[in-house]
Amino acid sequence: MQIKMNDQPIEIFSGACVKDVLRKYSRAEWRLVKNDRKAVFDRHGHQVALDGELNGGEEIFTKSIELVKPQP
Amino acid sequence: MKHAIRTMIKARLLPLVLLAVFGFLSCASLPPAPADTRIVIFHSNDVHGKIDNYAKVAAIIAAERKSGVEVFYFCAGDNFTGNPVIDQYVPPGEPMLELLNRLGLDLLCPGNHEFDFGLENLKKFAVRARFPFVCANIQAGDLLPLLRPSVVLKTASGIRIAVFGLIQIEAGNGLPSTHPDKVKGLVFSEPLTKAREFKSLRAGNHVLIGLTHIGYEDDLRLARQMPELDLIIGAHSHTRVDPAENVNGVLVAQAGSDNKFLGRIELLVRGGRVVEKKGGLIELNGPMAEDAEVKDMIARFNSNPAFAKVIVTAPLAIAGKEALGSLMTDAMCHVHGLDIAFQNGGGIRLNRLPQQITIKDIYTLDPFGNQVVEIAMTPAEIRGLIKNSFEKGGNIDLQVSGITYVVRTDDARQIKEIRLSAADGMPLDENRQFKVGISSYVASAYDFSRQDPGHSLQSTTAEALIRYLQSGVDLNVYRDVRRAFWEKTTEYPRP
Repeated sequence: MQIKMNDQPIEIFSGACVKDVLRKYSRAEWRLVKNDRKAVFDRHGHQVALDGELNGGEEIFTKSIELVKPQP
Repeated sequence: MKHAIRTMIKARLLPLVLLAVFGFLSCASLPPAPADTRIVIFHSNDVHGKIDNYAKVAAIIAAERKSGVEVFYFCAGDNFTGNPVIDQYVPPGEPMLELLNRLGLDLLCPGNHEFDFGLENLKKFAVRARFPFVCANIQAGDLLPLLRPSVVLKTASGIRIAVFGLIQIEAGNGLPSTHPDKVKGLVFSEPLTKAREFKSLRAGNHVLIGLTHIGYEDDLRLARQMPELDLIIGAHSHTRVDPAENVNGVLVAQAGSDNKFLGRIELLVRGGRVVEKKGGLIELNGPMAEDAEVKDMIARFNSNPAFAKVIVTAPLAIAGKEALGSLMTDAMCHVHGLDIAFQNGGGIRLNRLPQQITIKDIYTLDPFGNQVVEIAMTPAEIRGLIKNSFEKGGNIDLQVSGITYVVRTDDARQIKEIRLSAADGMPLDENRQFKVGISSYVASAYDFSRQDPGHSLQSTTAEALIRYLQSGVDLNVYRDVRRAFWEKTTEYPRP
C-alpha cells in the first residue's frame, strides 16, 4: 500500500502502522520522534500514535513538538 | 375539467399527505420527549492491553455517575494485543473482560484485534461479558451469536439512544486486519455502504451514534455521507481528537490509544433531539484519584503467573546470535509456512536462553512487538536484502532459516558475491519466488528493492517463537548451528 509521509509517497507492506512508514521514510526523523522531539500528525492536524494502523492512501506528517505545544 | 383539477390537486396534495402520515408515524414511534436531559458518554479505544490507567477511568466514571447525569461508557475496540503480560494470560483476554465488566462498560464494537485470539475465545469472552457487542458489517451467524448490528440504549428519563457498530476491512482481502484464519467463517461487508442501512434509525430514536473501528479518515467520510448521525465514536487509527470535531453537523471523536486518554462526550437532549454536543479527552497519565478495588485487580493481572511459567525445558542453554537467530527464524518458517526467514542481529536482545525457558524470557529476547511480514521474493531480491544488511554494519547481520548464504568481500569489505544455497546445499532456483518472512522492523528499516511490498501476518515474531517452542521441536539442533558466512578474499578474480 502507499502512504504519503511529509508529501513523499512511501510504498509499504499492507498492515503497516505509523512507525513502519516513519522508519522507511527517514531514520533521522524516526529518531526525532522516538526522542519526543517530533510527533506524527494526520492531514487534519490530529496527533496519531506510532502504533496507529493505516489504510492505503492516507497522509501523515511529522512536526516539531515545540510547534505543537501551546505557548505559555 | 373538474376531473383535471381533481387530478392536479391529488398530484400536488398526495406527497404532502404522505409526508404528514410518515411524519406522524415517525413521531408516533418516538416516545414523548422528556424535559432537558444531559447525557455523558465516556469512551475508550485501542487500549491494546494497557490496563494500568483503568483505576483512574473507574474513579472518573464513578464521580460522574454521582453527579446525577445519565452516564454511559463505550469502547470502540482493540482491547487485545500490545501488552504481553495481558495477552499471555490464561485464558487470553481475561484481564480485559474482568476489568470492562467491573467498569460497567455499556457497549463494545469489536476491532480487528478482538479476533487475534481466535473466534472460539471471542465467543467465550462475549458470553461472559456484561455488555453487548455491536457491529453491523459482520455476518457471524452461530459463530458469534451475541453480536448485534445495532442496539438501543435507554436513559432513566426515557431518551432512546440508537447505536450501530462498524469494523474496518482491508482493501485487498476484504477482511479486518488480523490473521485470516482468525476470522474464518465470518462474512464482512464494506462498512460505509453498510452504514446507509441505519439511516432509518434516526426516526424512532432521540440520539443516533456510530460506534466504529474504521479509522479517522473513514469516520470523516461516514460523517459526510450520513448527517443523520449525532455522533461518531471511532478507533483504529489511534488518533487523538481533542476536542471532538464537528463534521457536517456530526460530532467525531476518538481517544488516541493505549489508555492514555479517556474520551468524554456531553450531549443535551431537548424536545426530542440533540441540541448541544461537545467532546474532549481527559489525560490519564498524571496523578488523579483511583478506584482502590480496580487498582488491586490491575496489580493481580500484572503479576500474571503464566508469564513466569516454564514453557519448555531445553537440553541445553541456547546461546549466541547464530543459534538464537536460527531458532527465531525457524519459528517463523514453521508457524507461518514460509520458505525462508531472516532475523536482524539488533532484534536479538539476549545472549542466551536458559534451559528452563519462560514466556518472560521470550519477550526479553524479542521485546519489540514486531510483526511477521511475508514477502514474495526472488533470489536476486534476497541478495539485495542481504547486501543492504551487510553494508549497514560491515558484518553478517541477518540470521536465516530455509537457506544458507555466503557473503564474499574483498579486504575493503566491498561485496563481490552473495551465494545462496538451499537447505540441501544446492543453489537456489533463480527463477522461483520464495515466501520470505522478515520482521516489520526489517521490512521498514532496511533498504532493498522488491516487486512485492509484502503483507503483515498480524502476528508477532515473539508469538511465533512461543508457538514453535510449545510444538515440541528438537532443540538439540541449536547446539552448534551457523547458516550465514562471510568470506574475505584478498585476490578476487576480475570479471
